[in-house]
Amino acid sequence: MRGYHDIGGSLSGPIPRTELPWLDWEKRVEAIRNLLGDSTRRVISLDEMRRGFESFGPEKYRTLSFYRRRLEAMIDILEEKGVLTRAELAAAVENSVQEPGET
Amino acid sequence: MPLFHAGERIRVLDLGKAGHVRIPAYVRGHVGTVVQFCGVFLNPEDLAIGNAGGCVVGCYRVEFLQTDLWTDYSEYPDDTLVTEIYEHWMEPAHG
Amino acid sequence: MAERDTTDPCPLPLRTAYTAQEALVVEDDAGNAEAARITTILEGILVTKGLLAKGEADQEIEKIETPGLHLGARLVARAWVDPDFKNRLLADGKLAAAELGMKVGEAQLVVVENTPDVHNLIVCTLCSCYPRSILGQPPSWYISKTYRSRAVREPRTVLHEFGLDIPEAVRVRVHDSNADMRYLVLPMPPAETVGRHEIDLAGLVSRDMLIGTAVLQR
Repeated sequence: MRGYHDIGGSLSGPIPRTELPWLDWEKRVEAIRNLLGDSTRRVISLDEMRRGFESFGPEKYRTLSFYRRRLEAMIDILEEKGVLTRAELAAAVENSVQEPGET
Repeated sequence: MPLFHAGERIRVLDLGKAGHVRIPAYVRGHVGTVVQFCGVFLNPEDLAIGNAGGCVVGCYRVEFLQTDLWTDYSEYPDDTLVTEIYEHWMEPAHG
Repeated sequence: MAERDTTDPCPLPLRTAYTAQEALVVEDDAGNAEAARITTILEGILVTKGLLAKGEADQEIEKIETPGLHLGARLVARAWVDPDFKNRLLADGKLAAAELGMKVGEAQLVVVENTPDVHNLIVCTLCSCYPRSILGQPPSWYISKTYRSRAVREPRTVLHEFGLDIPEAVRVRVHDSNADMRYLVLPMPPAETVGRHEIDLAGLVSRDMLIGTAVLQR
């Protein structure tokens, strides 16, 4: 029983050396997780987030970037906990696209 | 009192557990030497599903010979790997 | 698939070859824009639901931007000039860091010392565990799937690719940071530290030395 994330010793190939910038949305994902996981909220622990990206499927794990994986895992856990639904989030994103002047 | 002590030989069990575990597949079933006891922690396997009500488990740093872990690691027999193993994944190993 | 060794409880398959793009997925502009939009909307929903205060995420971002190489380098420089501090750092990294006003947010900081006999290398095969509260965010290569996978299995080849060849007489010790400990390598000091100012010594330390993919040229 080996998770698709459990890759110690199982891959070969080049180690990319280009250093990527740390973008604002990526920092925001980490910041939000830190806050939601703090002792006053305890809504998403690091362990839960990890379980999130270890169970959202090998295809997502293979194709999503590091911080996008964490964002998607966080959304899955929030839905699981009844904080929001993906449909609600999608609708809000859709509305924001239709009204480009607003955030 | 920790169950295992520095210098002791232990075997990493393969518990065949589904869900979130922090024991990498490549060390399961292998024998290593306890380096140090790291303390007790809530079990991440439980925390991952939101259960913070369980008992703490001991955590240890355990050292393995690379030549034991990998069939194609032959040139440097003294190289080692150290990783963290939770107590319920460990049993004493002899020899 | 290689033949399974039935005596080995955890038989290893042949390795899967990854391209650089597969090893580290990089968002294009559209991907970043989409992710940024979703994150902003998500934050807004969480504020509406009372789980976040308005502006709280911005404050947390400032916090997580603060740590970096400079903190790790200070720990190393102090350890190089003060043997008692070094011993305290090796015994309990979190406690020793607190002496210098650094708060380690993770459960424990384990500092592993490079010596003439041992070279240490840090990796997290399962995700990307890294002493973020001291060093900030890890480099892209550290979170790549090929580093995570290969560092445990062929550390010397990986180090060679980083331009570091470890002599046969030196043992390579890889630390897979898979649970609650976080690791920092204490590089070997320059040949002469007597009379050198700590700030100058700290300036010699690179981030890669603290992970183990570089050493000080002595």
